[in-house]
Amino acid sequence: MTPSLLASAVRVFDLSLGQMLWSRRSIFLGLLLGGPVVLALALRIISSLYGLPINGAQPEGATIFGMMVWLLYIRFIVPILGVFYGTALIADEVEDKTITYLFTRPIPRSAVLLGKYLAYLVCTVLLVLPSVMLVFFLIAPTGGSSVAAAFPSLLADFAMLIMGLASYGAVFALVGTRLKRPLVVGLVYAFGWEPAVLLFPGYLKRLTVMYYLQALVTHEMPQDSAVSMVLQLFREVPAIPTSLVSLAVIIAVTLWGAGRAVEQREYVLEQ
Amino acid sequence: MTTRTRYFVIVSLLVLGVGVSSGLVAYYVGGFPARAAGQRGGPEELNFVPRDVAAVAYANIQEIMASELRQKLHHALPSEPTGQREFQNETGINLETDVDRIVGCVRPESASSGVPGGAGMVLARGRFDEVKIESLMREHGARVDDYGGKRLIVADGNATDVHVADERRHIGHSVALSFIEPGLAAFGSTPLVKSAIDLHRAGNNPQSGLESVTGNEELMNLVRSMDTSSQNAWAVGRFDALRANAHLPENVLSQIPAISWFAVSGHVNGGLRGTIRAEARDDEAANNLRDVVRGFLALAKLSGGSRPELQAMMQSLELAGAGKTVSLSFNVPAEVFDLVGAAANGRIKQ
Repeated sequence: MTPSLLASAVRVFDLSLGQMLWSRRSIFLGLLLGGPVVLALALRIISSLYGLPINGAQPEGATIFGMMVWLLYIRFIVPILGVFYGTALIADEVEDKTITYLFTRPIPRSAVLLGKYLAYLVCTVLLVLPSVMLVFFLIAPTGGSSVAAAFPSLLADFAMLIMGLASYGAVFALVGTRLKRPLVVGLVYAFGWEPAVLLFPGYLKRLTVMYYLQALVTHEMPQDSAVSMVLQLFREVPAIPTSLVSLAVIIAVTLWGAGRAVEQREYVLEQ
Repeated sequence: MTTRTRYFVIVSLLVLGVGVSSGLVAYYVGGFPARAAGQRGGPEELNFVPRDVAAVAYANIQEIMASELRQKLHHALPSEPTGQREFQNETGINLETDVDRIVGCVRPESASSGVPGGAGMVLARGRFDEVKIESLMREHGARVDDYGGKRLIVADGNATDVHVADERRHIGHSVALSFIEPGLAAFGSTPLVKSAIDLHRAGNNPQSGLESVTGNEELMNLVRSMDTSSQNAWAVGRFDALRANAHLPENVLSQIPAISWFAVSGHVNGGLRGTIRAEARDDEAANNLRDVVRGFLALAKLSGGSRPELQAMMQSLELAGAGKTVSLSFNVPAEVFDLVGAAANGRIKQ
């Protein structure tokens, strides 16, 4: 008797979590998430020694934390984790020629994808959230700001980051199962298509994850460049319920599409 | 799941758990009155400001007067400001040399204050020649009363212009000065100065209806949020109370954003840097306000690009805030004041 999709996915998740955590990719992940913590530590030391004027003004710690969330996590870390891990969920097994071992098990093929996706989500959430928390506790109490006042926004950030990781992971899981060279396509999408489309007025931006994710960010978008200023001028912010529903739909549809692709596709392992 | 993976998951969850718990404790304990009392915050003169004021402000006059910016402006505009000269003529107090710091407050027009147009008071800490000041004020028509064991020098100001029949209006327009302790002068609306004397004499006593602003938790939270170590001037207050008091036409009032609280803090030295913070009525009002400010900032930054002397100031404008809070930090460099000084000098010479 074939076990259920969920039971099979949990078994694959159990197997894949360790593989993901202790792979070479995790060194990259560690560096990526350690960077903001080191930066926050440096800012904290500088702030306590000399103050922390930015363009001459003394911003609050909560403002600096908001800038770091925008510039480091939302615009860079979350999409890049989605690209690197999401596209590799099945591609790695194909590349290592181990996909056959999984597909010969008496479990639905889509359970392999679902289990690996859950492992990706747990792995990245357990690394990203502590990193954000450390940055928060290092930065938030500086510049007249306090942990107590800024704490509600941290909880909102956690929820937003989980949604971001889940959405990007699902989108790039679909890319990884459907397309050849998924990494290149994923990088072009995350760092070419999305930022470019958001710059222009119109409906095209509704085809991006970032459009909905930005609506969940409680911090003010930093005005760090001319591009940011143009972004702000043409920025449309959908309502939070709309964004949550849209992201949930994106996750469900792309995961379903990825699962269908895994079920139907014939993987030919190159010798 | 291997043991190594299990340990990783446990450690990661522990870090998250400890962090979230600490944040929750800070968030909830931050609201406890006991802690608030322990960390009252703000200058000690707030003990003599009545609880029902709508706004309080602080300025370290010594630092501001000694600042490079003040020196620069003094050279650019050598003539003494009229208001400062009038104040010295009336009271004998020289703001530049006699006063170290001031705390000001505004009480809006209300049934409790009974003062049309609201009332204000300044508590000045410094060195005062009490005898000279009193005699000077008496020369200008002030009278000396005794209130709560303190000498209260009352100047009825426009008393002759005021219809005496309207006693409330009369009280509202009379100003008083009292030295409530050595080196501390209270100057302002007579009812407010009397409240300050009462608070000095009896202390904070909410049971008897006498309470200082330090018991106003909402206002004090804003005062505590000011970084008093790096700012030498700040003001916080209820924007809605002040707006209601401004008696503006309805069509103007409807255009003003729905702001509940405001906080302005600044540091004056070579230039002026500071932060303006507003708390809107709700998230939607805050978003609207942010949109308006964002539009102005984008236009200002784009148009300021052609003026190199203004570029640093434009680049320093930083909009921030989350939820109901909107804040704008800024830095006006000394060069901008040089321009202002040069322009003002040119106008004087013409």
